[in-house]
Amino acid sequence: MFLTLKELLHEKLKFSALGLIIFLIVFLVLFITGLASGLANDSGSAIKETNAQTFILQKGSESRLNRSELTEQDWQKFQDKYHNKAAKLSVSQMSIQQANNASKKTDIAYFIIDANSFLNPTTISGQKLKNANNNQVVVSDKLKSSGYKLGDKFKDPATKTTFEIAGFTDNKAYSHTPVIYLNQKQAQKLSPNTNFNTIALKSGISKKSGYQVISQQDLIDAIPGYSAEQGSLYLMIGFLYIISLFVLAVFFYIINLQKLSDFGTLKALGTKTSYLVKHVLSEMGILSLVSIIVASGVTYGISLYMPASMPFNLGTTILLGTGLLFLAITLISALLSLIKVVKVDPISAIGGNN
Amino acid sequence: MPVLELKNIIKNYPDGQNINEVLKNVSFQVNQGEFAAIVGPSGAGKSTLLTIMGALLTPTSGQILLNGQDISQLSKKKQTEIRLNQIGFIFQNSDLIPYLKIKDQLQFIQKISSKKPVDAIEILDKLGLNSRLNNYPNVLSGGEKQRVAIARAFINQPDLILADEPTASLDSQRGHEVVSIIQQTVHQENKAAVMVTHDERVLDLVDTIWEIEDGKLKKVQ
Ligand SMILES: Nc1ncnc2c1ncn2[C@@H]1O[C@H](COP(=O)(O)OP(=O)(O)OP(=O)(O)O)[C@@H](O)[C@H]1O
Ligand SMILES: [Mg+2]
Repeated sequence: MFLTLKELLHEKLKFSALGLIIFLIVFLVLFITGLASGLANDSGSAIKETNAQTFILQKGSESRLNRSELTEQDWQKFQDKYHNKAAKLSVSQMSIQQANNASKKTDIAYFIIDANSFLNPTTISGQKLKNANNNQVVVSDKLKSSGYKLGDKFKDPATKTTFEIAGFTDNKAYSHTPVIYLNQKQAQKLSPNTNFNTIALKSGISKKSGYQVISQQDLIDAIPGYSAEQGSLYLMIGFLYIISLFVLAVFFYIINLQKLSDFGTLKALGTKTSYLVKHVLSEMGILSLVSIIVASGVTYGISLYMPASMPFNLGTTILLGTGLLFLAITLISALLSLIKVVKVDPISAIGGNN
Repeated sequence: MPVLELKNIIKNYPDGQNINEVLKNVSFQVNQGEFAAIVGPSGAGKSTLLTIMGALLTPTSGQILLNGQDISQLSKKKQTEIRLNQIGFIFQNSDLIPYLKIKDQLQFIQKISSKKPVDAIEILDKLGLNSRLNNYPNVLSGGEKQRVAIARAFINQPDLILADEPTASLDSQRGHEVVSIIQQTVHQENKAAVMVTHDERVLDLVDTIWEIEDGKLKKVQ
């Protein structure tokens, strides 16, 4: 530690440059990870935040809700077995217009549910959805960015049905659109069809003959655009980790290469190799820890000033996970230098040939 | 009893198909309070001999007795410990650590050693370096650097000082000054010291002179 601190203080420029590189990469990784996580929420939070573990779809629907149609007979089979651990769900993607301004349209997703089932979400303001035959509906907080408030009315353009916002849930979204929860009576006003898309189960089952049975994550993966989005973002993140491993390894290696004769001298003077190993590791450790903390702070600060419509989500798990992963990457990148340092022969100090 | 005694040291280097016999049955000794010099032509094996004395290189055969203990066959770890606690090195280019201030050069040795520390500032004071305590090595003159290296060699109170051409990068007047500092400290503190040198002009300061030629070492004074 003595050597480490003295060296970090003396070689400020060199180590600041290395720290800056780490900072920039961590910042970029955090930013893209936050974006990936935000987009994932924006794509599937209305599904992800339910207690449903399994979804029952029509056979051959290829995990796509809009290709699945189930009937009252199907429902009876599951209700008899699972009682209140089963719930009907229909999802339909449409657009709405403001009741008093028909030109102001917003794309949304209707979630048609039984208000007494476990799929009925809790609200952050207003009241929960009820099974009454009225026009009081619950909508996602996300709709606020289109200018909707509690008590506002909106219209279904096709049937001219008007609904009133009675409550807001937190930021629930499906395929990047806000979710509007309707009970089955309200849904009848939009379409008389009583069939539905899927049965959500609280228990995890994997098979049921005559149906397609998928997990919650499978359903989310099949949301249009979800896998492509997440796949490409995580590919970028993965590459950033690999690139930083190499860039840092090479940069740090060059820094240490310049100091090999010093390491030889230190060994000749009686410094244990283990001391020098600790020195190299703590140097890289301190440097990356500081850079990671600064990058986390900056990313977090920027996230506070992002518009609400920007899908960005930076939880403590992401911050901590990214930080730890990066610390590991920097320490691994120091390995190359360590090999050199361990191999330096103290004999190089004698004879004036260095 | 001598502080350092070499008995029948042989050092061979492989040289293609042949063997290069650098040291041919060398014996040597130096006592407490004695300042010995080793001279000889380039390539004669002076540095090789010094690295063997300093437990940096294992001889092909022979014994190295430091305070009566044979150090030639010890593990690397033990040898490192011996270099730290029983031997002080002065290198040709002083080899100070560039990112340590002058006082930290000495304090570092005290940090990694378990010996009771002596007053580092006082030692630097004695060598006329009191105005340089908080400087980094890059602003020091060659002579000043070599004085710091001397202080560093003595700081952990070793029994043996080894110096490899300590005057090589200095002009003759500075070189003479530096060697006389080594000489005084060796005599005052009653240490044993071995210096490899090319520089004939400093030989008036040493107690014994050994000459190495063609791999053979003999005492000439
Ligand atoms: N690691 C090595 N491998 C093979 N041969 C070596 C090695 N180190 C030294 N030698 C050989 O040993 C001989 C003595 O080298 P050494 O460095 O001890 O000479 P020296 O007396 O210190 O010379 P100078 O005055 O030029 O410093 C030389 O012929 C050199 O080529
Ligand atoms: Mg030499």
